Amino acid sequence: MWLAAVVVVASAVSASSARAQARFAPVAPGCPPDLEVLVERPWAENAGLVTGDEVALRATADSGACTARVAGLFEPPPDPSRLTVERPRVLFHLPQLAELSGRANEVDQFTIGLTPGVDASRVAARLEPLLPGAQVLTTAHVANRTSTTFLVVSRFHRAIGLITLVAGGVFLACIMVLKVQERRAPIAAARLVGIGRGLLMGWTVAEAAILSALGGLIGLGLGLVASRIINAVYQRVYDTTLIFSRVTGEMVLQALALAIVLGMGAGLYAGRRLFALDALEEVGR
Amino acid sequence: MFARTSLRELAHKPLRTALALTGVAVSTAMLVDMIMLGSGIETSFAELLGSRGYELRVAPKGTLPFDTEALIPSMSSLRDTLETVPGVAGVAPVLAAAVDLRSGGDGSAETPQPRRAFAMGIDPDEQGVYRLIDGAIPSSSEILLDGPTALAMSIAPGDTVGLYAAGGFGVTGRSIRARVSGMAEFFYAAQGDSPIAMRIDDLQALAGRPDQASFAMLRVEEGADPEAVMTAVSASARRVEVVTLSGIVSEASERLSYFRQLSLILGSVSLLVASLLIGTIMAVSVSERLGTIAALRAIGISRNRIVSGLTAESLLLCALGGALGLALGIVVSGYLESILSDFPGLPEAVRFFVLRPRSLGGAYVLLMLVGAAAGFVPAWRATQLEVVSLLHAEEP
Repeated sequence: MWLAAVVVVASAVSASSARAQARFAPVAPGCPPDLEVLVERPWAENAGLVTGDEVALRATADSGACTARVAGLFEPPPDPSRLTVERPRVLFHLPQLAELSGRANEVDQFTIGLTPGVDASRVAARLEPLLPGAQVLTTAHVANRTSTTFLVVSRFHRAIGLITLVAGGVFLACIMVLKVQERRAPIAAARLVGIGRGLLMGWTVAEAAILSALGGLIGLGLGLVASRIINAVYQRVYDTTLIFSRVTGEMVLQALALAIVLGMGAGLYAGRRLFALDALEEVGR
Repeated sequence: MFARTSLRELAHKPLRTALALTGVAVSTAMLVDMIMLGSGIETSFAELLGSRGYELRVAPKGTLPFDTEALIPSMSSLRDTLETVPGVAGVAPVLAAAVDLRSGGDGSAETPQPRRAFAMGIDPDEQGVYRLIDGAIPSSSEILLDGPTALAMSIAPGDTVGLYAAGGFGVTGRSIRARVSGMAEFFYAAQGDSPIAMRIDDLQALAGRPDQASFAMLRVEEGADPEAVMTAVSASARRVEVVTLSGIVSEASERLSYFRQLSLILGSVSLLVASLLIGTIMAVSVSERLGTIAALRAIGISRNRIVSGLTAESLLLCALGGALGLALGIVVSGYLESILSDFPGLPEAVRFFVLRPRSLGGAYVLLMLVGAAAGFVPAWRATQLEVVSLLHAEEP
């Protein structure tokens, strides 16, 4: 079993690493024998570490260095909360880490498997009073806690989206008013030759809908391209497989529907303003 | 004169003007918010760190304060060493540990549910992480609480509480009883942290971390250069990380770079939207007035004068819309701040949106430049057309 390191990994890890040697150096006092670790792949690549190298580890800043063999590299799970953390994750065998850190018979956390069908919350509530100083959390609770950052960011994105929507709506209304005002005379003439208001209004609204749908499609295209660029750039920057931007079919439909509804609303508004004017006066102009 | 003419032109098309102003205002609001967000965390974090007068931080090698569970061993001897470094005026070690806080303090089953608290072991005379609000600084077996925790647990100064080392199981868990000596404001506590402060030796005993500290805050003598003192401290204590406040701010800023990048992208998009909107309005407005422009040129009005008049109209739109946008941006930033205030792990005192007159001025100037360009281009193009052909085109 491998355990994530809590100890300070000396900054000299890369400096003191050496290529694979046939035999270990004699074990220093306080160091577990045959100490070996797994190192996360991106950091190992940056530090030039490969399987079989030796690294120096210290439990605390003033303790002696222990030599450990890099038994392998592991691919860290894509975790957004660790994107900007530069310290490497190193996995140990639990007894070796306990010995190295002088924390015999101690763990930071452990997981409990339950019999299928048992209510985890009830077990947690019954266990916690038996363990003063410890928290007993269900998996759902842990997931909820660790996702707070992303929930907050998600709420922030929604708020920004709302502001963008208002800006887009105003922009669209502005364009529609300009377009309709451009055609005051032809529409007034059409009204005078007997074309019904309903039909003219229908045309105006349909034109607005088509315009906003086309604009929406162009916007979606730009969004898709931007999304691909964002993913490509950030995946390279952070050396991760995380998806930074995802455009789903549901999102596409929502965005398009919203653009059309906004456009139709703007067209309806501009059309109503136009039909409130006197047709004869408009033609006279 | 330009302003009066421009105002008249804008008033002539009230609906168009109102929509354009609204559009510019919303775009400006977004721009202002993004400018505030772009430098907000950095500014606010720097102010928070610098507010207590400790210019340097000493943390375990390779870490920053409150960054990991790594500890500085042999803190007493390190403190002695640090105090001898020229330029160091004071050393305030801090040990941070999670403890369970139980009101009543007898630990019996009848006492209320414990609350996970963020305990800071401090040297009470060095108020680097807290400010005493009420009561007295803690003596041995005494603690300070913050208001929300005291309220939530119905604890008042003078009460006794039980403290349990988190991580200790069953009867073997370390615990102490402590008296609440007073109330304090904790500068670095995040929302929902339930911070408490106690003497560092008490917390070291409770957490089983004898003579250890999470980090130390260093006060630099007046007039001394923090960078020079940092170099001297680093030379004296090689096994620890010594950082200046600007180093910490820069690291924090790097970790929250997402918001900086987002603000740059959205700020640019806002400017683009504002310029497109004003550009469209001005292009239509100019094309509607081609005949007037031709007539003006025919009677001898110079191109420069016509271009200036139309550009002034565009600037007026930006000036009015921008002013509305500044006010709207400040209101919206309050709303966005309320969302981001739930961001975990950040001190409650840190703000994402910081209002700085310079930022607002910068946003306004940017908008005016965009407005000037958006008005100038169609106006200039219109004045390049042949007067005669324009007049012919305008004939009924």
